[in-house]
Amino acid sequence: MILRIARKELLDLSRDGRFRMLSALVLVVSVVSLAAGWKTYTDLAAQHRTAQQATREQWLNQPKKNPHSAAHYGVYAFKPASQMAMVDTGIDPYVGVAVWLEAHKQNEMKYRPAQDRTAVQRFGSMNGAEVLQVLVPLFIVLMAFSAFAGEREQGTLRQLLSVGARPRDLALGKALGIAGGLGLILLPATALSVVALALSTSEGLLADDPWRVVALGAVYLTYFAVVTALALWVSAWASSSRLALVVLLTFWFANSVVASRVVSDLAAWLHPTPSAVEFQKGLEADLNNQEEMEERIERKRDELLKQYNVASVDALPIAFSGVSLQEGEEHGNEVFDKHFGALFDQYEQQNRVFQWSAIVAPMLATRGLSMGLSGTDFGQHRHFITAAETYRRDIQRTLNGDIAKNQKAGQVYMAGRELWDQVPAFTYEPPPAGWVLGQYSVALVVLGAWLVGAVALMMRAATTALVD
Amino acid sequence: MLGRIIRHEWRTLGADATLWVVGLAFVAAIGYGVWNGARWVGFQQAALAASAAEEAERYARLETEVQELQRTGGKVSPFRDPRSPSNAGSRFAPRYATLPPGPLAPLAVGQSDLLPYYFKVSTESRDAIVGATEIENPQRLLVGRFDLAFVLIFFYPILILALCYNMLSAEQEQGTLALTLSQPLSLATLASGKVLLRAGVLVGTVVVCTLAALFIGGVDLAGPGALPRLGLWVAAVVAYGAFWFGLAMLVASFGLRSAANATVLASAWLVLVVVLPSVFNLAATTLFPVPSRMELVQAVRVASDDANAAGSKLLAGYYEDHPELATGDAAQAMTDFNVIRIAVNDDVERRVRPVVQRYEQQIAAQQRLVDGLRFVSPAVLMQSALYDIAGTGHARHQTFLQQVDAYHAAWRQFFTPLIFQKASFTNYAGTPRFEFDEETAGTVAGRVAPAVFGLAIPAIALVWFALARLARFPIVS
Repeated sequence: MILRIARKELLDLSRDGRFRMLSALVLVVSVVSLAAGWKTYTDLAAQHRTAQQATREQWLNQPKKNPHSAAHYGVYAFKPASQMAMVDTGIDPYVGVAVWLEAHKQNEMKYRPAQDRTAVQRFGSMNGAEVLQVLVPLFIVLMAFSAFAGEREQGTLRQLLSVGARPRDLALGKALGIAGGLGLILLPATALSVVALALSTSEGLLADDPWRVVALGAVYLTYFAVVTALALWVSAWASSSRLALVVLLTFWFANSVVASRVVSDLAAWLHPTPSAVEFQKGLEADLNNQEEMEERIERKRDELLKQYNVASVDALPIAFSGVSLQEGEEHGNEVFDKHFGALFDQYEQQNRVFQWSAIVAPMLATRGLSMGLSGTDFGQHRHFITAAETYRRDIQRTLNGDIAKNQKAGQVYMAGRELWDQVPAFTYEPPPAGWVLGQYSVALVVLGAWLVGAVALMMRAATTALVD
Repeated sequence: MLGRIIRHEWRTLGADATLWVVGLAFVAAIGYGVWNGARWVGFQQAALAASAAEEAERYARLETEVQELQRTGGKVSPFRDPRSPSNAGSRFAPRYATLPPGPLAPLAVGQSDLLPYYFKVSTESRDAIVGATEIENPQRLLVGRFDLAFVLIFFYPILILALCYNMLSAEQEQGTLALTLSQPLSLATLASGKVLLRAGVLVGTVVVCTLAALFIGGVDLAGPGALPRLGLWVAAVVAYGAFWFGLAMLVASFGLRSAANATVLASAWLVLVVVLPSVFNLAATTLFPVPSRMELVQAVRVASDDANAAGSKLLAGYYEDHPELATGDAAQAMTDFNVIRIAVNDDVERRVRPVVQRYEQQIAAQQRLVDGLRFVSPAVLMQSALYDIAGTGHARHQTFLQQVDAYHAAWRQFFTPLIFQKASFTNYAGTPRFEFDEETAGTVAGRVAPAVFGLAIPAIALVWFALARLARFPIVS
């Protein structure tokens, strides 16, 4: 019975000119956005490879110099584009692409691509995610609003129920029919994206974690199911199809366009962040705390004197200059961890507000999960920053350790290629899908609750719907 | 007759409770939008005040330090000596170049949350200076702000369409249209009366509410440049409204049923406000891709390596270009680290310039494309107009950047001779200061005018076309 209803619903849809026009529009936009995403990704990946290689060569080809000069020269870490950014570019345009890893300083990631674009970007960028989060729900609403209300107006609902169709089957059948209609567009688009993902890499079908792709698919299917069930619920509840349409369009507008902006304000109000001037001031005050720094170096000196049982630093078997440089680094590291840590925690608190707010707008849960699984959310940006910063600290430790070991009193110490080789090339491994899902536990629960709630509402409304 | 229609419509519309609810929601959205914009302006002003305070504090400290050193003749490490012009120009004395929020900034946050509005200008490279950014959660940047511009671009047309989609079709469906037109009254007059009332109420609401919100928000409307900008803003609101009213009239003139009108108008809104702008962005970034700045980073790196390797040779070349800077013992100056650095920086900037220009050309190409395409989407036209009026768009920021470049050059010009002379620098009070030279209202009007005309001309055409079609309207279906 359910299947028969679904088939009828799909047949109806396919005969509807509006449906055909809309599906053509969604399909064309999906294909164009995928093609654009593919091009952007492959360009970026090539630029990233070149830059990463160049910075490595520059590091290795340094002339003979003191290790601390090399530390000041530093290297750059470039953020690799995640392959699934083809589908969802997320925050990538709004964060920097490169960070300079030098002595004494944790620098910020610089060059946000959004600064190189026009203001029209604030309308959105019609990437795959936008099609899925904004256009597809609208498409569902337009397919579903008259499912019950329309039948009621035509008087066919009474007929249907009189021949013994169970309301529950009717609801499920209609949902399935809409799913079928959706599948007509989404299946080719999905197939194309998988091909695009496969073509964009030389490292097998999916260089990224395949679980991310699976989870992303599941998230979107859940979201579409939520919207479909809600639309059918409203259609069964509303007294006319016009009312159903108005209610559903209002929901769509509030959910997809308005909610994120309001929640963004709420998040910033609950968890404010400082201006760059204030942040810098606080950071520098701690960083330039000479007393603490000197105390620290003194402590280390006393410790070493005791350990080697000597009276002065000159008698130490290691060069104290290397040790004190490293102590300076350790002091800086603590300060950076404190200040950047607090700032980034604040961002994550703000982003949690987005997750919780999905209770009123399911799109927010979907958007978060989509960015997360595509590797383009703040959590993974921070993951990269941490990896780059750890690498910077490793470089400093290696170089300062070398100074401590090889610097002789009264000599100018120069190191060469051998030391540069000891610093491994920077590689970055994005976290697995499980890590990402852990970050979005709230969103997952909320989205799940929406699914259960919406389906329950739809079923109830179908059985209690007025016949005419 | 027109007056009577308007009075009648006013009574009918006023009796509709739904309209009151929607209208109040709209007023609340306007108020919230302006309040939000004002809050952001407040944040920016606080940040600028903090930067000014930081600068003043630093200067006071440096000046005392200099006096102390002069008085006691004390020794200090050359890296810490505030009397070294090189230290002062690069690390100790940088001043902030700031872009204060424009006179009507609360009207649109625009790009101002993304584009930096203060730079610490020193003798360092341009790249190091203008690379600074304001702190903001990238997810918030992605989402955008709930400002008045957002309310006007997205909500305002919805309200217009909701008010107008059934203005003729409902009467036709109820059968009152034929009755009304049995009076000595043309359909064009009737439709005009209906639209004029709705337009008057809606545009009036927007203007009055915004003015009230600005007034409550403490914006100085009598301040320099505020009034002409306000005039432009009203013109944009009227023109954008006129476009949507015109569209609704045209659709109404086809004599379709209310539901069909609603579908057509909603689709038009969706395409013009949501889909097209997004597609324009996609087109601009795909047709004129700006390469990742990773390439710029590498170009700067390579140029610096080369320049540093050639350091003393470069200095000789620099002296050839600037013989006035060659002091008596040029030979000793040749080995001076600070002096070499100036020549190196100069050379790096010269070499990197073409790379930077390539980026700028691509961005300019994107801007040109969008500037052309925007005439297809009233939403993009409206956005460009509102951002320009509020001073939170691309153009005013470009002006700021140009002024920062000039200031940066002046800063270097101030310090370079001192560094060459190895002078003892004590003149902290005399370092150049930056003051943003605000754009004149005329400049802004020149930029906003095409957008306003781009909205008004199609609006007039739509109305004219609609009135012409109304002559063939099926009064009895």
